[in-house]
Amino acid sequence: MITSPLFLQIVLFPGLTSIAIIGALLGWLERKVTARVQLRIGPLYASPAGGILQMFADLIKLAFKELFVPENSDAFFFIMAPTTGLVLGAALVGLIPFAPGLQIANIEVGLPAFLAIITLSPTLILLAGWSANSKFPFIGGLRALFQQTAYEIPLWLSALGVIMMAGTMNLAQIVAAQSTGWFIIPQALGAFIFLVTSVAEMERLPFDLPEAESEIMMGWQAEYPGVLFLAAQGPGFVKLYAFSALFTTIFLGGFLGPSFLPPLFWMLSKTLIVIVLIMLLRSTFPRVRLDQLLRAGWTTLLTLAIINIGITYLLVVGLPTL
Amino acid sequence: MTDLLFLAFAAVTIGAAILAIEARDLVYGAAALGIAFLGVAGLFFLLDAAYVGWFQIAVYIGAVVVLILFTVMLVGPKMGETPLGLKRVSLLAAILVSLLLGMTGALANATAFPGQDSCGSGCDLSMFSTSLLKNYGVHLEFMSLVMAAAVIGALALSKTDRGQ
Repeated sequence: MITSPLFLQIVLFPGLTSIAIIGALLGWLERKVTARVQLRIGPLYASPAGGILQMFADLIKLAFKELFVPENSDAFFFIMAPTTGLVLGAALVGLIPFAPGLQIANIEVGLPAFLAIITLSPTLILLAGWSANSKFPFIGGLRALFQQTAYEIPLWLSALGVIMMAGTMNLAQIVAAQSTGWFIIPQALGAFIFLVTSVAEMERLPFDLPEAESEIMMGWQAEYPGVLFLAAQGPGFVKLYAFSALFTTIFLGGFLGPSFLPPLFWMLSKTLIVIVLIMLLRSTFPRVRLDQLLRAGWTTLLTLAIINIGITYLLVVGLPTL
Repeated sequence: MTDLLFLAFAAVTIGAAILAIEARDLVYGAAALGIAFLGVAGLFFLLDAAYVGWFQIAVYIGAVVVLILFTVMLVGPKMGETPLGLKRVSLLAAILVSLLLGMTGALANATAFPGQDSCGSGCDLSMFSTSLLKNYGVHLEFMSLVMAAAVIGALALSKTDRGQ
């Protein structure tokens, strides 16, 4: 039981242990990349090299802080929302095929399952913001609700293009369908929409309105102390990892690549490139306003997503059948 | 094992549905509704209908519950508000609901709208979509009616407070 492959996959890789370590390393990478772009040095001291252990030091610091629930807050939702978010974030990684056979849950409807789990996050963030019984968290929760529900629809529609190309919703089969060519070429528009909407779903700059440190001081996370703050911050990095892996899987050919290196190497290096790209977006673009964000989501992105489906239809079925 | 899971999901669904109606705090009621929807999604998974199950989660918890939660927070009712008394409207609502339930029951009976091919476990996506739109078109429309009812309900909830 302990040595069965599935058990090891769940506990070690691509499961829980690796998610925790990669999540912490991504925190370090993000600070380092942002610092380099802004001509700073970034984390330096807490490590043998380049401050790589900085996030683990932060983790230990947060773990030893006093854990309390603010007065007049709703303790049940206050604790439940971030911890459930963490569990759901980890569940996303379980759906990704990292190499042939290296996938925790190879289900027939992997892509909708991934996106369906993502749709739960505005509910949790709204509950987290409401339960703190404080002004800024509630504003952050409402912003998350507006933003994430608006960007879910283009996100699903851009994924639909991939499903039409591959003729399946199974993520492993979508990778197999790309053996003749990556979907990012026929689905360039879809990939662009997917990247933009997934950055909005992850609440990362330039779409980090629910957190917006300089306006509403961390938004829905403002009241979270110690370990709970860790649990509120964690899903952000886990989602970054999961979304980048999904982008690699459905647009960049997943684990496919020249055979002189193992599939896992190709999968992880492509994922890392997507992660760094998303981090560069963070350090390059300023935060958008809520009205700009919603207008772009409900008009531009939605229209583009529908146009993309039309293009995909022509690619798959062809002009003569119209 | 399947029977045990069925009982567990059914118990969660019914228990959470009762809590959704009886909870004194509306936010807890809405959250309980979300858990009831999760139970229904579990029942779909047991029926080998993973696709429908995931969409149940995405649409009902991801959209409907969030809409209701948003409305509740926007309107902000006092905790422990007294329930509405029995009015003529409730009688009308009861008649409508029983009509709807009766029709749904008739639809659930396979003889009412016979389908040629049921989509079993060996059924792929294109077969599923064909059977959904061809044989189960009426059922699909009823499900969208429930969605429309949810949206109208949320709008009605947010409108009542305007006059005061």
